[in-house]
Amino acid sequence: MPLQSQTPARPQEAQHMRTAYPKNPPAAPTAPSAAGMEASRAGVPRVLEVQHIEKVYGSRNAITRALSDVSFSVAEGEFVGIMGASGSGKSTMLNCISTIDTVTSGHVLINGADVTALKPAKLTRFRREQLGFIFQDSNLLDTLTARENIALPLTISRVAAKETLSRVEEVARRLGILEVLDKYPYQMSGGQQQRVAAARAMVTNPAIIMADEPTGALDSKNARLLLECLETMNRTYRATVLMVTHDAFAASYTHRVIFLRDGRVFTELNRGDSSRQDFFNRIMEVVAIMGGEGSDAL
Amino acid sequence: MLCKIAWSNVRRAGRDYLVYFVTLMLAVMVFYAFNTITVQADFIASDTRELVRMLGGILSGLTVFLAAVMGFLMVYANNFIMKRRKREFGLYQILGMSRGQVSRVMVLETTFVSAGAAVAGLILGMGLSQLMVFFTGAIFQSQIENFSFFVSPFAVGITLACLLVVYLVSLVFNLRVVRRSKLIDLFGAERRGEQVKTGHPLVAAVVFIAGVALIAVSYARLWRDGLPYSGTTEETEAFLITTAMVIVGTLLFFFGLSGFLLKALQGVRGFYYRGLNMFTLRQLNAKVNTVSLSMAVIAMILFLAITSVTGGMSIASSMVENIELHTPADFSQTIVYFSTSTSAGVKAWAGGAETAVATEPIDVARVMSALATDADGQPVDFSRVSDDMVQVDTYDSMLPGADKPVVSLRDLVAVTGDELPKGIDMGSAEALGLAIMRESDYNALMAFYGKEQANLGEDGYLLTCDMGDTLGDIYNHALGQGAELDIAGRSFHPVIDELDLSAGPQAVSSMGSNTGTIVLPDEVVDELGCPLYNSTLIGNYAAGVTAEEGQEYLDGVSLESYDALVMNDAGQAIGTIGSRATRATMYETVSSMMGLISYMAIYIGFVLVVACAAILTIQQLSSVSDGSTSYRILSELGTSEGEIAHSVLKQQAIFFAFPLLMGIAHAIIALKVIIDLVQLFGGISIGSTVGLAVVIFGLAYGGYFAVTYLMSRGIVHDAIRVRKTL
Repeated sequence: MPLQSQTPARPQEAQHMRTAYPKNPPAAPTAPSAAGMEASRAGVPRVLEVQHIEKVYGSRNAITRALSDVSFSVAEGEFVGIMGASGSGKSTMLNCISTIDTVTSGHVLINGADVTALKPAKLTRFRREQLGFIFQDSNLLDTLTARENIALPLTISRVAAKETLSRVEEVARRLGILEVLDKYPYQMSGGQQQRVAAARAMVTNPAIIMADEPTGALDSKNARLLLECLETMNRTYRATVLMVTHDAFAASYTHRVIFLRDGRVFTELNRGDSSRQDFFNRIMEVVAIMGGEGSDAL
Repeated sequence: MLCKIAWSNVRRAGRDYLVYFVTLMLAVMVFYAFNTITVQADFIASDTRELVRMLGGILSGLTVFLAAVMGFLMVYANNFIMKRRKREFGLYQILGMSRGQVSRVMVLETTFVSAGAAVAGLILGMGLSQLMVFFTGAIFQSQIENFSFFVSPFAVGITLACLLVVYLVSLVFNLRVVRRSKLIDLFGAERRGEQVKTGHPLVAAVVFIAGVALIAVSYARLWRDGLPYSGTTEETEAFLITTAMVIVGTLLFFFGLSGFLLKALQGVRGFYYRGLNMFTLRQLNAKVNTVSLSMAVIAMILFLAITSVTGGMSIASSMVENIELHTPADFSQTIVYFSTSTSAGVKAWAGGAETAVATEPIDVARVMSALATDADGQPVDFSRVSDDMVQVDTYDSMLPGADKPVVSLRDLVAVTGDELPKGIDMGSAEALGLAIMRESDYNALMAFYGKEQANLGEDGYLLTCDMGDTLGDIYNHALGQGAELDIAGRSFHPVIDELDLSAGPQAVSSMGSNTGTIVLPDEVVDELGCPLYNSTLIGNYAAGVTAEEGQEYLDGVSLESYDALVMNDAGQAIGTIGSRATRATMYETVSSMMGLISYMAIYIGFVLVVACAAILTIQQLSSVSDGSTSYRILSELGTSEGEIAHSVLKQQAIFFAFPLLMGIAHAIIALKVIIDLVQLFGGISIGSTVGLAVVIFGLAYGGYFAVTYLMSRGIVHDAIRVRKTL
């Protein structure tokens, strides 16, 4: 990881970290972080609450514990990053939250509704109305134009055509992709595709937007454009964004980063009022600590 | 090792191969079963055995033709599967396999599938052929005698030979895919396939409209011109142009179809931006290049299948329906007189014998006793089987030396204002004179039939005909309008106002014996000096003679020589012995004809329909599995599996329905024209006996559609689930 080697963690900055559990701490890891968040965002309703979720794969002989006792919450209008090495369980967690996967135990509440208890038929509808997705590969339908791709979540929800089209235009204008609206995905650059995907994710005004490594396949310029896009969405539309990434630069755009390791919450960092550069440096320190303890390099 | 790879490939690519396999198996089964017909003949009561054997010969020839069609379609389907696997073949080569080895894997795969299909198909075919014996018996209205399990080495041979050809041809094409391709292409194949080449929808809409227009024009042309029955160059050329137009039109129609639908429905925003409609239409449109051509070809093949099956079976069934009308008596024997124009030709043929045009009818019974013998070698004596006979004489309305007939169809049409029916050449309509009958002969015939006598008075006429529809309509119009006819300088008026078809037959026949006869007072016929046309002796068996006994006696009748000439008292040749028919043989002929046509129609139709449906199925399944990513995205966006399945169903319904509808539309127009031509000779009815065929083909086509959809649902289900298990 070039970023990691360029910015080695400096010991004096380690004090900015509120908590750092060196190895599977005996105490529940969520307690301090939840408390800290509630302190900083008192009065703001929580959009997402993850309560002690566990995910176990495999049969009796070969059990893989992808997630064990993970808890955290996200307040409305927050932009939260989740970092971790590959295999740390971050994608599994996102899938569980986004109802694409099911948890083995624990609860996920979105706007107070327990998604782990929803029936498949209701899940589909829930996903449609409450969640927006952005993936690493933009996952646009290649037979549809950008306009149609963005409109799709609305048409699926049977929003009237007129309103659909005006909302698509509105989002596209905000995200600076008006000029590609009538292009097909294969006629767009990777960055444009991701921004179209971002527009698609937020056109329904979902309770929460899930972004899974959204910058993973982009060069640095396009990555920045997309992150600014997400920032805009977060700032101007008060969209709640949950972004999984292994890229510290991407994570530095968020308000708060939750670090996962071996299926557990390792620690979390709050940006507070610090600059992005500053936040980036703090993130890199945690990354270095996690990396230094024998985990996979991030 | 290669063998193992090939085998696991077949298993893994099971879905693609399954349809290929099942279709090949069905073809083998049908090929085998239909080719056992000669063996089946052995179980069938002897009276129709020969006919069934003859059918066997025809079916073998047909099998070769169908195998060629099947082979073409299977090569196409196989090619389609192979194209999708280019990447895999690239991978083998990257991993160090030589092209030769990859080719061998492919050969083995094709061999596994073909061999499997051959074995399974033959087993099913053997089962089916046992059942078919009874079906054959029923179709030929015959009894099954001493049935036992049978296997036909001949049928196995011809089936395997055909399969071998299909196998070899698809092998050559498959090997070409591997041999010709460069590694980079093999790897690029999948990605490039995903790229959507959508032409401008407006262009597509124009193409579509041009296609529709071309089809419409060709329909109009065919409707106006009919089939090229007279075979003149201009007519043939016009017909070829019409054919070319309909083919090009069909192609354009399918190339433009999805683009047109897209453009048209995009205009309806409320529809386009609702649910998955937009996705469904775009998916359809994305496949234009891959599937348009095959949809057009399939439409044309279905058209051929529908037309041949429906046309053939309808003609056969109209014969069955009219057989009662056309066999008014137990037997008949006809003598055909020479006309002015034929007698000269006959003179040369008969070795210089003196010929003449008969003006006095000759006694048919007497002629037969002079020229033919019965089974015992005695002169034929019809009174041995019958005591109820009548001789019908008809006269030619073309007088010697005249340039037009006394009464012709054209004269009637001129009065009624009808159009001359299609199939009658305007140029030779002059020659389409009606036959003439004396009032007294007519009344004798009516007495024989047990019908009312006619009284023409001095200037009355009536018309008879035993063929309905086009000709019957013209006669009915003429009678209904009380058409006055000028004959020999006098005016005649009809004494009936409607045609009585059952008074029409002048002989026992399978398709009718009277295209139109005018009955005139005896003295008028004498005055005209008409030459004779036909004399027919019609009779019913005597009370003590059963139909079998009568048939046996008549079967024994043989002419002394085939070219025996009928002589008049002056020793001049005036005619030849015409056909001898019995009611029983006519019934048999008609039902055999029906069986023959039904057999061939079902055979051809089934193979063609199955081959078409198989191609659509393979295409659809591969396009659904290509679309897996899309379905997953849709699911993640919050579309329920049901909705996605619904979208897939809509797409597939369009792919299956449009070629079929187009084929049916073409067939309706073609049948209309064919029927115009055929109706001249008797009524025709579509829909009565084609029922069975429709059911069989519906099951086959619909079955493939259902299988396609169910398998697609499986693919969609898996596609959606994949992410959950990651």
